[in-house]
Amino acid sequence: MDTILDLNDIQGNILKTYARKEYIFARYIFFSIRDGAKGRKFVSDITEYVTNAAPWGHEDNPKPDATTNIAFTYHGLKKLELPEESLHSFPEDFSMGMRERSSILGDTGISAPEHWDPVWNNGDKKVDIWVSVNGLNETAIEKRYELIMKLCEDSEGGVILLTGHRGDDGRDDLHYQDASALFKDGKATAKEHFGYDDGISNPYFKGCQSNPAFVLGGGKPTTGDPATLGGWKPLETGEFILGYRDEAQEYPEAAMPRLLSFNGTFMVYRKLHENVGSFNRYIKEKGQEMGEDGEELVAAKFSGRWRNGAPITTFPTYKEACQYVEDRAEAKEKFDKADGMISKNLAKLKYYKLLSKLVGFDYNKDLEGGRCPVGAHMRRTNPRGALQFGQKGAFDTPGALVNRRRLLRRGLPYGTSEEGTDKDDGNHGIIFMTVGANITRQFEFVQQQWINYGNDFKLANDKDPILGNHNTDEQGKSDGKMVFEAEKDSSNTPHFCSNIPRFVEMRGGGYFFLPSMTALRLIGAGIIDPT
Amino acid sequence: MPNKSGNAYGMTLLCPIINGSKNHQSYADIIRDHLENLPLDSASPMAKVPNTYLCRFYVLNDVFYEGYPAKEEHLKSRYLVFSTNFHGEPDEYLQGMWSHALKEVREIWQYCVGFKAQGTADDFVAYMRKCQVDNALFFNGSTDDSLAEQLKSLYLKQEFSRFVYENEGASDEDLQNAFMEFVKRTDPENLNGPTWVPGHNE
Repeated sequence: MDTILDLNDIQGNILKTYARKEYIFARYIFFSIRDGAKGRKFVSDITEYVTNAAPWGHEDNPKPDATTNIAFTYHGLKKLELPEESLHSFPEDFSMGMRERSSILGDTGISAPEHWDPVWNNGDKKVDIWVSVNGLNETAIEKRYELIMKLCEDSEGGVILLTGHRGDDGRDDLHYQDASALFKDGKATAKEHFGYDDGISNPYFKGCQSNPAFVLGGGKPTTGDPATLGGWKPLETGEFILGYRDEAQEYPEAAMPRLLSFNGTFMVYRKLHENVGSFNRYIKEKGQEMGEDGEELVAAKFSGRWRNGAPITTFPTYKEACQYVEDRAEAKEKFDKADGMISKNLAKLKYYKLLSKLVGFDYNKDLEGGRCPVGAHMRRTNPRGALQFGQKGAFDTPGALVNRRRLLRRGLPYGTSEEGTDKDDGNHGIIFMTVGANITRQFEFVQQQWINYGNDFKLANDKDPILGNHNTDEQGKSDGKMVFEAEKDSSNTPHFCSNIPRFVEMRGGGYFFLPSMTALRLIGAGIIDPT
Repeated sequence: MPNKSGNAYGMTLLCPIINGSKNHQSYADIIRDHLENLPLDSASPMAKVPNTYLCRFYVLNDVFYEGYPAKEEHLKSRYLVFSTNFHGEPDEYLQGMWSHALKEVREIWQYCVGFKAQGTADDFVAYMRKCQVDNALFFNGSTDDSLAEQLKSLYLKQEFSRFVYENEGASDEDLQNAFMEFVKRTDPENLNGPTWVPGHNE
């Protein structure tokens, strides 16, 4: 039975990957509510511009130059004067907020809240509203931004803009957070600052509107061959959108009344600074011990994908990875240029088959981690059935331990960095966002148990090499470590990485509620009724 | 056998605590306070008791009333519960407690019914066996080797991990020299040589 979602009611950023649809620029704007009634008016006014998930390209729904979406912290919903009973029915992770839960997330040391961008440390001016503008170009962004700022001005102090974002040249008073795809030779790339192709895979769920071919790798694993569609099934909608059945075969916990939560969801926002210099230095140094293409190999072992996106479990050498990317580009070109239905379909088949290698795999042929290390970033954040440790039928389904921990990602890089730089300071990183029905079960669990810990993978307390909150002592010794396992029955030795410093620092973030269009209208009108 | 698993033994004791109080505090609460203030890790009194794998103390107040229609029942006294997993035979183990941690044993058990602080080791063994209850299920969390074997293994494991990290990429000759030095320093066959300190936490 197909799940049919009311796309007019769901905010666009939940179901659409704007960046894939050419919205490669974004601006995130944060507001504080000083007056409930004026705050509600601002919400009502802005609702007119909020983008929903209805498909574009139709006469009555042309593709806009810019999109707008809006979300609220718990504090924001409180300032908007939602009824007490509704407020109390929100889950505790959301009502406490990310800042209060920094010990769960491992946001320690330099990543602790007191070091976040000033916008998050503004005393009683807390972040209440998040507005995002995604644009086809910078002009579109500016235009939409001006429009939104006008609505803010109209509130005569009822809603104020929060400033204090860190930017280039040591500034920390910016009015908004900009983000965009990284460019090379004038063209937008899929890269982030460590050089990896990012955002290759996302969860595929019932009703998600993505290309059905993306269930491969994006859905939940079956016992079938992961290289084929038979190896995957769509996830339940309720893992990502409130009001629908989830993987536990029930409706996810949601605030009352139902109309407030239905078609809404939660969003985690994190500004992650990347220590590009340290990363470059480490992979270069370690790479020298790793033989041919050592530097790329270390980067691939850390991540689970070569920096060109090819999964290392499928393509164990740099040469194979490069050949694959070349073959795929060639197939795409042939597909784009193909003439006539038959040759177009044949070219499409060939291209999709190659494309599917990006995501159509699991680790059952790589259990010891000889190709993709057991502790690699990708393997930690999306184990794909590897938690059965090769025991067929260990659980009811291969994905039993992972299906409820999937992360739907919606971020973009920010800032610029020089390729091969040895500098850590500077304004560059990723605006990481993940969208899901349950913050604790999805994001917080992965962050605490799979990124900053390793027990589930039988890696004791080893952390994710790239995202882990490794510490460095006064003598300059870092405590991050990782084993690159050797392939079973090979003459290769394992490699041991030690002294891994913290590559990623948290610069600010929060937990937000992304309401449906209906809920937005109700919130703006102040008529939420919890009874 | 519910108490044995190879050479490992799981002993569970329920020692009734004297009803009544001293200095406005019940004996059970005095015991609990005392337990909560015992030194930890390698300074723990139980770290001195030979062949102790893992042990645990707590004060059992009463059974739990589940609510209607369950029947409300109460224990006649509160209990000091002592649960210990060790290598070897129970009587020998208890003798080891008396001979290696006498002062602390007397302090912990002094308010338990029937405990003779001034008795002999044999009195102690008899008393503890009287308080013993059989386990329904005993799962031993380690091998059933002697404690000395296990401690030496832990020590060697940690030292060898360090050795591997420090010597990665060394030439064959350097590696062999380093390894011979490692063997000399850690003395693997000698259980009385360098080893893990009982109760140590790192």
